Amino acid sequence: MSGPILEIADVEKHFGGLAALGGVNATVESGRLTAIIGPNGAGKTTLFNVVTGILAPSAGTIRFLGRDITRSSVHEISRLGLARTLQIKSVFHGLTVRENLWIAAQSREGVFKPFANAKTCRRANEQADALLEELALTRLASQQAANLSYGDVALLEIGIALATEPKLLLLDEPICGMGPAETERTVEKIRELSKRIDIVIIEHDIEVVFDISDDIIVMALGRVLARGTPAEISENAEVRSAYLGDDDA
Amino acid sequence: MTAAAINRLGLAVFALFTLAAPWLLPLVVDGFWVDIYSEMLIWSLLAASVNLLFGYVGLLSFGQALFFGMGMYGVAIGVAKLGLGFWPAFGLGVVLATAMAAVAGALAVRLTWHYFAIITVVFSLIFYFTALSWKPLTGGDDGLSFSMPPMLALGDDWELSLTDSTVQYYFIILVVGACYALMGVILKSPLGWAFRTVRENATRASLIGLNVYLIRLTAFIAAGFIAGVAGALFAFFGRYASASYMFYHVSGEAVVWAIIGGAGTLLGPVVGTSLLIVLREELSHAWEHYLILVGVIVILVVIFAPRGLGGVWHALVRRVARAADEDAGGGDGEGRS
Ligand SMILES: Nc1ncnc2c1ncn2[C@@H]1O[C@H](COP(=O)(O)OP(=O)(O)OP(=O)(O)O)[C@@H](O)[C@H]1O
Ligand SMILES: [Mg+2]
Repeated sequence: MSGPILEIADVEKHFGGLAALGGVNATVESGRLTAIIGPNGAGKTTLFNVVTGILAPSAGTIRFLGRDITRSSVHEISRLGLARTLQIKSVFHGLTVRENLWIAAQSREGVFKPFANAKTCRRANEQADALLEELALTRLASQQAANLSYGDVALLEIGIALATEPKLLLLDEPICGMGPAETERTVEKIRELSKRIDIVIIEHDIEVVFDISDDIIVMALGRVLARGTPAEISENAEVRSAYLGDDDA
Repeated sequence: MTAAAINRLGLAVFALFTLAAPWLLPLVVDGFWVDIYSEMLIWSLLAASVNLLFGYVGLLSFGQALFFGMGMYGVAIGVAKLGLGFWPAFGLGVVLATAMAAVAGALAVRLTWHYFAIITVVFSLIFYFTALSWKPLTGGDDGLSFSMPPMLALGDDWELSLTDSTVQYYFIILVVGACYALMGVILKSPLGWAFRTVRENATRASLIGLNVYLIRLTAFIAAGFIAGVAGALFAFFGRYASASYMFYHVSGEAVVWAIIGGAGTLLGPVVGTSLLIVLREELSHAWEHYLILVGVIVILVVIFAPRGLGGVWHALVRRVARAADEDAGGGDGEGRS
């Protein structure tokens, strides 16, 4: 596909007097792994919220795959192929790991089938099992999600997002709270996924960001401060003083 | 024995008991318990409709009696005022209840938690007072009684009617059984799993592409349908409709039955309803403050068995199944089933 997969134009979001987003312009190119960095409160998560329809922007337009999704609802945007994980990990706690993946896969086949037996929904079954395998969660398949470790929940949430077969995946601090081994495993997984799905990742770990990303968007105070390749960003004087300098000296 | 096998056995015992109750109950206790038992089964459907919403979709409705009342008045008005036969009147009750649920639900399911609970109460109060004051149609305070039309008549001399108590009993258990079977099928379907995801995490549900509003509305309409069937059955059972059954006390009782029986278990409501109706029958005339006991039971259940008696049953079954498994497996590490 040519052209950007996601276009964000003059997007603003105000909470009362606070401009969490003060006119954001950014594009996400297909085929490249994009990272968003920026200090706490820069508006990164708010940007994801606005893009995925959880919050309505105060101004501006958002286009996904060339379509205007500014006023679309959360589930419609998901169905267009945009998936996301949340900064505060969000799964279905009372369901088992497999059920979590299964329902996400089945959402693409349609759930308004009151007389079909879930056990016989072949595609969703196959997909859930494949994802269990792919994410090495098979041994936890019949565990309630509520009983998982923090890292496994984060992994499961990525699995849920993948089960919806997205074209673009937004990850909000996916490795936050993981141990070193888990972090490494997850980063590898993300790198591997980025070969078939476009990914935007919000991440504070600068080393990881510079390691895996093709493009970096730097945000501060609700605006895009800079964007470029990791090499360009590391040489950007403004970014160094505003962000890299005091956050990661 | 696996947990599923134990559950099947339990269900079979329950079904056999229900089938044999017209003979069994007069032998063991007293003939009037047959009537009480049919009444329990009817009321359990009202608790089941609460359970469908609260236990599976996470919406706590304090207004399900409204749809019960619609089912009830649909039948009574159909027979007494419109001169309908048995089946058209039954249909009218159920359709009225379901349509009412579609209208009320379209507004109510936009809200959650206390806002949702409050609006369901408001709706049922509006129609409670409407039923009380619309005397020509509903009979007002006196209610509306009617005489039973036949279900089926062949020629002049053979007819099937609920005036025959055996016919009435089996008609009731057939309809109640069909409702539980229907809920059982739905809860095993993709729609049933979508219900649970909305209960667990509505934001995540919408993020995977589920239309949470439509799923909640569908559940609300289905619950209204179930409550409507209960109300229609109850009208036939008593040959009578009255606004008092639409009052929010009745809705509240159904919530208590569902919670004690076990929200989120298919047959929990039958257990909760039966237990509390037996308590009422046995205690209410002996001790006028018996509701204190009900209150204590509710508090104990909420604290010690948040998934109700149904949850206790499932936990027990799992333990028994695991013990049996270990005995049979002899420790060669077969693992969990
Ligand atoms: N729902 C909300 N209501 C009010 N203010 C909000 C809301 N969401 C975010 N904010 C505010 O908007 C600003 C941007 O928050 P946001 O969560 O987008 O930052 P972030 O870049 O993701 O930060 P972090 O790195 O800490 O996750 C913050 O000042 C935050 O307090
Ligand atoms: Mg954030």
